[in-house]
Amino acid sequence: MSAGPGIRQRLRGWARRHSYSFFSSLGALMAHRVGTLMTVLVIGIAMLLPLGLYVTLTNLDRVDLREDDWGALTVFMQAGVSDERVNALAGVLSARDDVGVVETVSPEQGLGEFRQASGFGDALDLLGSNPLPWVLSVSPAGGADAAMETRAQALADFIAAQEGVESVTFDFKWLQRFGRLLELGRAAVSVLVLLFGVAVVVVVANTIRLDVAARTDEIEIMALVGAWPGFIRQPFLYAGFWYGLLGGVLAMVMINGALIYLEGPLDRLLASYGHQGDLGGLGIFETFLVLLSGGLLGWVGAAVAVQRHLKTLRVGGTLGRR
Amino acid sequence: MIRFDRVSKRYPNGNQALSELSFELGDGEFCFLTGHSGAGKSTLLRLVMMLERPTRGRVEVAGRDLGDTPDRLAPRVRQGIGMIFQDHKLLNDKTVFDNVALPLLIAGLRYSDIGKKVRAALKKVGLANREQAWPLSLSGGEQQRVGVARAIVGMPPLLLADEPTGNLDPDLSWELFDLFRELNQRGMTVLIASHDLHLVRRMGERVLVLSDGRLMDDVVPTAPVVS
Repeated sequence: MSAGPGIRQRLRGWARRHSYSFFSSLGALMAHRVGTLMTVLVIGIAMLLPLGLYVTLTNLDRVDLREDDWGALTVFMQAGVSDERVNALAGVLSARDDVGVVETVSPEQGLGEFRQASGFGDALDLLGSNPLPWVLSVSPAGGADAAMETRAQALADFIAAQEGVESVTFDFKWLQRFGRLLELGRAAVSVLVLLFGVAVVVVVANTIRLDVAARTDEIEIMALVGAWPGFIRQPFLYAGFWYGLLGGVLAMVMINGALIYLEGPLDRLLASYGHQGDLGGLGIFETFLVLLSGGLLGWVGAAVAVQRHLKTLRVGGTLGRR
Repeated sequence: MIRFDRVSKRYPNGNQALSELSFELGDGEFCFLTGHSGAGKSTLLRLVMMLERPTRGRVEVAGRDLGDTPDRLAPRVRQGIGMIFQDHKLLNDKTVFDNVALPLLIAGLRYSDIGKKVRAALKKVGLANREQAWPLSLSGGEQQRVGVARAIVGMPPLLLADEPTGNLDPDLSWELFDLFRELNQRGMTVLIASHDLHLVRRMGERVLVLSDGRLMDDVVPTAPVVS
């Protein structure tokens, strides 16, 4: 007889044992709904905090600083500079690696925009000639990071030295602070993910530890009838997985609820900074990652608790004792 | 099936449970183990179950030297043994069906096979209509029969019983021993620790008599057994 069927049979047995533990652990959690709900709630909140910060930063990141006016240098040309000179300078700047977008605003365009925005149309009619110069809006390449100030300053110095340029203005301090806040936020997300990941492991480990302690007799009986340590561990590991997974689901529900609630006010705030678009939540891949991470963290927490307990378990301790 | 060769067991507290115990139980044999409380019956069963290691001597079960068998293989040894406990050792938050199915789930059998075998075992012990009952809703005798069904459901080659009739009335005890005899006639080796000398005598099977951890007698009674 070949070894094939034996291996197949063992694999099937292994799969059946796991399938039993997978569903029986879920049944055990459902049998203690209140306790399960409380644990899942704690895990969900622990996951919600880094997740909420991540979603906030993702939305702020979507406000593209490279192409937006509030990240741009404003270049005022000298009065009387020719259109050719302006276009030549725009061409030179566009060719540079540290420049993202260059837009030119002619004196006529500028006056028109000012007339529309200011409401001083009648007063402007009194002017004999257009006093506005050519203006270039130059957005630096690269994101809002700590090196942005240096890059923007170097670009501003270069532009200021060009022929026909009157002055260069750039509110990089504001943008720099914003960029650094984003960087801080990203770092905070990493720290929070780590800290609250540990929190999820600890919460699940403690829950499973209590569960294991409450089911010591059951564990002993299973061992007495020939259960492998793996079979004894499985229901607890799957319970940890379920706790983490359900915590992740709860966190997702809460984050999406919060997004729906905050969408209106946040959209209006971002619109006031010139950003158009909907508030973004988590994508399919990110959702999958959150749920998987929750499940895995729960599994790890359960593994820690069960391993510690099984090491100290004395099987058959009561056999023969009256 | 079981061979003890000059086996001694001393517990860490100094209690000498077994001393130089030697006996052999062949495949398909039926044997009682009797003796007063503390004679060493449970220690003997614990050694067979690999719940203890002998201090000296050699214990063999189904040709396997348990002294050379690492702890990690203890579950494999136990899977070949059906064990009946005096205190039943049932999972109270699982139904009768689930309790009896446990050894088969551990073995990784198909659910359809598990269902058939569990129902057959429950029928054999007279609990065919109680498969969805909870253990705590059963009488002591019924709980014991659930424990018996769990021990025999996988038809292991060796059946051990530790005072299986301790909580049963005489009629039920006799029924249970009849069941053991039937299983033995199908080839199962049966070793029962019991101090119910009346029943032991009635069965007329081989008896090992222990006293203070020593084998005092090894007989097939035709006359009353005296411990």
